[in-house]
Order: sequence, then C-alpha cells, then structure tokens
Amino acid sequence: MMNRWVIAPLRRLTQMTTLALVVLLPLLALYSHYKQAHAIADLPDNQWRTKAIREIDKTVADDPQRAKWVQETQGTLWSARIGGVSLSDPLAGVEAIVSSRSLYQPMLWSLLIPVAATVLLGRVFCGWFCPMNTLLEVVDKGRRVLRWLEIRDRDVRFSLRNKYVVLGLSLLIVAVAGMPFLALVYPPAVISREVHLWIFGGAFGLGVYLILLIAAFELFVSRRWWCRYVCPGGALYSLLGRFRLIRVRRDTQKCVRCGDCVKICQFDLRPMLVETTGMECTNCGSCIRGCDSDALSYRFVLPLPVIAKPAALPKNADAPKQFVVMLLAGIVALAGCSAVYAHHILGLPHYSYKENYPQAPTLEYPAKTGPYDVLMTSYPGKPVPGEPATITFYIKNRNTNEVYAKPVTVRVLQTATFGANTVVYGPETHPPFDNQHKFTITFPSDAEYIVELTMQVEGREEVIPFLMVAGEPSAGTSIVVLLAASLVVFIIAVRAIKIKRQRRRQSQQTAVSMEAV
Amino acid sequence: MKSETHMSLDRRSFLKSLTVLAPASAAAIATGMWLDPEADAAHACIRPPGALPEADFLSTCIRCMRCVDACPNHAIKSMPASAGPLQAGTPFLKPREQACMLCSRVETDYLRCTAVCPSGALQPIQKTLSDVLDKVRMGVARIDFNLCYSYNHYTCGTCYHACPVGAIKIGLWEKPSVIEDRCIGCGLCERACIRYPQAVRIEAIERPNQRGAEEGRA
Repeated sequence: MMNRWVIAPLRRLTQMTTLALVVLLPLLALYSHYKQAHAIADLPDNQWRTKAIREIDKTVADDPQRAKWVQETQGTLWSARIGGVSLSDPLAGVEAIVSSRSLYQPMLWSLLIPVAATVLLGRVFCGWFCPMNTLLEVVDKGRRVLRWLEIRDRDVRFSLRNKYVVLGLSLLIVAVAGMPFLALVYPPAVISREVHLWIFGGAFGLGVYLILLIAAFELFVSRRWWCRYVCPGGALYSLLGRFRLIRVRRDTQKCVRCGDCVKICQFDLRPMLVETTGMECTNCGSCIRGCDSDALSYRFVLPLPVIAKPAALPKNADAPKQFVVMLLAGIVALAGCSAVYAHHILGLPHYSYKENYPQAPTLEYPAKTGPYDVLMTSYPGKPVPGEPATITFYIKNRNTNEVYAKPVTVRVLQTATFGANTVVYGPETHPPFDNQHKFTITFPSDAEYIVELTMQVEGREEVIPFLMVAGEPSAGTSIVVLLAASLVVFIIAVRAIKIKRQRRRQSQQTAVSMEAV
Repeated sequence: MKSETHMSLDRRSFLKSLTVLAPASAAAIATGMWLDPEADAAHACIRPPGALPEADFLSTCIRCMRCVDACPNHAIKSMPASAGPLQAGTPFLKPREQACMLCSRVETDYLRCTAVCPSGALQPIQKTLSDVLDKVRMGVARIDFNLCYSYNHYTCGTCYHACPVGAIKIGLWEKPSVIEDRCIGCGLCERACIRYPQAVRIEAIERPNQRGAEEGRA
C-alpha cells in the first residue's frame, strides 16, 4: 500500500507540522491582537516575537482571504479552530460531556473529524501528530547517551492495560467532581497551553515540570512509560480505533521471525506474533520500515475477522503491584511539581503596545490585618532602579468603610541571598493625605525588596511585610543550581570515561594473555 | 486468526485486580469530591461575557484558550497554575489591565469569545445593544467613596464618559453613581479611572443561568 521508505519521512513531516502548529496558533492570535489594535509598528524592535509578527503581517495583510483565515484561527491542541474549522480532542469531548452533563452542539460538530479519523485509521493521533509522543521518541533516543555515560538504562515494565484503568478512573473523578481536570494533565494539551503561555506572557507555567518529570521518568526508569501504560487519551483512541480499516499486516510467508519489529515497536506491541496488529497500534509504520524481509505492510482490513479472537500474551503477574507503584509515583511526581513551583507573580506582565504609554499600574499587593484591608500600589507599577517610585497604601476598615487616619511607619529592606537584609529606607512616619499614605523611594539596584508597614491595630503595633521586585534581579539561587548541575554532569562524564578506559585495558590484557597462551 | 486484543480476563485475575481497583476507585471518588466546583464558586472572579454561573462554568469550560485568542482587545487572560487545580487555565478579565470593549472595533455578529467557545461555557451573545444589556453580566461596578476624586473635593467624571451603556449616572460636581441593573461589568470605567488604586472597581457577582437561551441557533 505504501513504500516502506516513504513512511518515516512522511511521519516526521506530520509531526513537525503539529509542532509548528503548536507555536503558530498562539503567534497568529497575538498577531491578530496587535493587528486589531493597529499596534504592529509600535512593538519593541529587538524581540523575536516582534519579528515573527511582522513576518506574518507581510504574508497576511494584503490578502483578504488569508486575513480572514487568520481571524478564524485560535485555540490549542486541546480544542482549536483552524480557518473556521472547529476541531477538538476526542478526550476533551468525552470529558466535557461527562463533566458538564450536557451535550453542546458546537462541541459535537468539532469532534466529527477527529473521531471519524480515529475510527477509520486507529490511534494515528499518537503516532503521527501528538507532540508529547514526538518529544518522548527523542527522549527514547537519549537512552543511547545514557548507555554511553555508563548509566544503567532500566526498563521497568507495566501492563498495557493500565491506561484503560487510568482512563476509567480519571473519567470517574471528572464525573464525581463535575470538573474537567484532564486538560491540566494530558500532555499534548499541556504542551500546547504552555507554549501559548510562553508566547503570550514570556514565561512557562507549572505544566512544564509535569512534562519534564514524565520525560525524566522515561529516560531513567521505564521506556515509553507514559504512552504505553498511562495515557488516558491513548486508551480512548485505542478503544475508538478498535475496528479501524487500515492496519499493519504480516505476510507469514515472507516473515523470517527475526524479531526486529518487536524491538522497534515504541508501543510494546508484537507485530511478529500476530497477523494484524490490535487496537493499540498507532499505525506509525516503524515496524514496516524496520522489516528487512518486507513481510509487514499497511493493508485495508475489514473489521469483522478481527473480532474473532486472540492469543493471550504472556501474562504479567505483577501488574496490580506495579499499578500501585505507578500510582504512587504519579502522586509523588505531582506533589513534587507543586513544591518546585515556588512563586510567580500572579497575572501576566502588564500589557502595553508602547513602552512609554502611561498605563495605570495594575500590580497590587493586598493584605489583611484585624479589621483593616491594606492595599499597596506603586507608580510606576514595576519600579525602575535609580528612578523615583511612589508607593501608596490605602488602608480601609472593612466594617465601617473608614480610612485609617493615624500616621504609619514605613521601612524598606533589600533582601540578600546570603547574609542579612540591608535597610535602604526609613523607618519614617507618614500622615495620611487624601485618604492614602504615600511615600517616594528610589530603589538603589535590581533586587527583591521588603516594604514593611507598621500601624496600630486594635491597640497593638502590627508590622506587615510586602515583597516587591525592582528591575530584573538575577536569581542567585539559579546560578547555584546551574553550577551544581554542571558539576554533576562533569562527574558523570569523568566516571563514564574511567569505566571505558578500564574496560579497554582489561580487554587488552586478556588479548595479551591469549597471545601468551 | 491471532490478534493483539489481549483484553480477556479470567475470574481469578479479575478478582485479583479488584483488590487494586476498588481502593483506586475509592481514591478517585474521594479526589472527585475534593475537587468540588461548588465550593470554589464562592471566590468568583470576572469571567468573559455569556459565562454560565460559576460552578457550572467551572465544570463546562474545557480550558482550551480559544476565547483568550479570539478577544480582539486582549482582555481575556487565562488563570495561572498558582490559582489552583479548579481555576488554572480558565479565562478571566482583569479590567484595570484591559477591559472588555464588547468587540466594538471588529466586525462580528456575535461577541467573538462567545462565538468561538466549543463547550458552551460561554453562551453565544449577539453584538446588539439589546442582547448585550440582557445577557452580559460579568460583574458590577462599585465606587469607593473614600478614593473617588469627585467625592473628595475635586471633580473628575472620567468613568461617566467611559461607560459604553450609560450605567453610570452623574450628579452634582460630577459625583458618579452606578445603576446596578444596567451595569454589564465590562470594566471600562475601572480602566479609565485616574485614581491609584482605582476608585471604581468591578466586583464579581452571581451570574444568571443562560444555558439554552439561544436554543434556536445552528
């Protein structure tokens, strides 16, 4: 049906197209925003984002048809609208139906193409499109580096059935909670959203750690762990594609039973042992390409004979135990994520077309003490070191709506990564003016500061600290982490070279002794 | 014919797997009960136009970012992960950064975010004054009289001029007051307010249920 040498390049092409789409979707949306604000000319010149947006503008602006196409393109891989065509991940569809307990027509329409493709072609999303699969294929190649570094590449195996359990359990959670949480953990959706966050706001969110943890687990502990044993999306597509029409089929006459295909299969299937691959096959065609005796090929297969049945695989007796281990590992991984996620300033960087446009400061530092609501703001919103900034406290009694009328004392400390904090302002006392307490300060350098407010609350003296950032402080801790990481890599490389040398010496010695004999 | 659909289970292994599946399901149900959108609906925030009541919204929105992309004024943002598992990825507005301009500068029949929503978390709203006044209730503007210049020996009137639907009434010395029934919560007054911190603010409210209001639309 298809030349075996065409499959791999074609598959790489679709994978790369998907990756490009992941980046392009938010870029096009950002372009639309700036275009509609007539602000493309005002963007800062030296950013790659600006360059990309201007390139898009060159190709799109003069062609009304393309402009319309861009206007009708938005979303992430979880659910996207591409040139007006609405597409949703089947898992998103199932989850939305279960969690909202309703059928919504536009959602059903958007499921049409993906579900039809999966029913006819099987789990092709995984093999041909999913960005997580593309990433993990690369990670799997990374195991060679691991072997070169003389680190044992473990491969803990689980039952392929686990992912159906994961699908069932997660849909159970969704149904009980009425809360679609899968969008937050399903890797293709996470990758797409993280790229979106990065392009829109310049920083990744928490999801990146999840992706990295899965990748690290696959690299060191279990080959292709996520796609084989865990992915609820993969489970759903397998079920949908159970009676698919295009399958990998083995010609028993040509097959020499070398087992290459079994070694190649990324999804732990055994094309050598069966005539047509079962429902979990992604039709990726790696085995077809790897088969030197030309025994495997895509074939159009009517589903009926497949229902007739199965030779059982060697059973995995440890499956339940392993499932518990996996579940615990997952929980630990997620807990780790929240620990790693130390702090981020809530909200995106303030949005402005022109850097010198006088925007209202939007960063606010709220606090509560006794009956008082304290709100600290600063102007400019993000203070620049060396330039004066006005810091304002608005202190209101929650119950009486009255403003705190007594003077407050203010002190500003510069935080230090090592050693004690230094006082850069005050302590000084300020009376209220126009219902606010204001003072002006010039921050000496790019760093994190603590603004300490001292006020009387119900007869006691209360000190409220506010953490605030001036300029772009270089994180001292991240340099330490980087140094430690490079030290570890260096030690591992030295160790690997040592082991290799020792082995070579030993083999030379044995060669010499052989000669002597 | 052989195939790889190795899904058959004999009774013994079925019972064995039950010993794992039963506690796992119990854990799943417990997690589900812990992730309760009803409980989280209490700290409501400002959602895009046409949003369902908060608990319904949280269970219907699939966190796909389409409305974030579609908003022509870049007013819709998505919640960061630090907002917690129920809120992360959902769209919200922060009017003092960018307010909802009700798609006034783009050609569209429906408000863009409501037209692209695949899940029905944002119900479609036509870009007409009657539909907007009927159905858009993102929040309601509240004026802090301690901060408002017009109530503190100055005159201002900026919010009155910013309001697109005439929901702010102006009195003697440009003292503003909000007609709460008419306010749609777009936030243009908060965006325009010249006091820092802003004297007029959009507060989240309990939204009416609009599901099925547009049944006839294809």
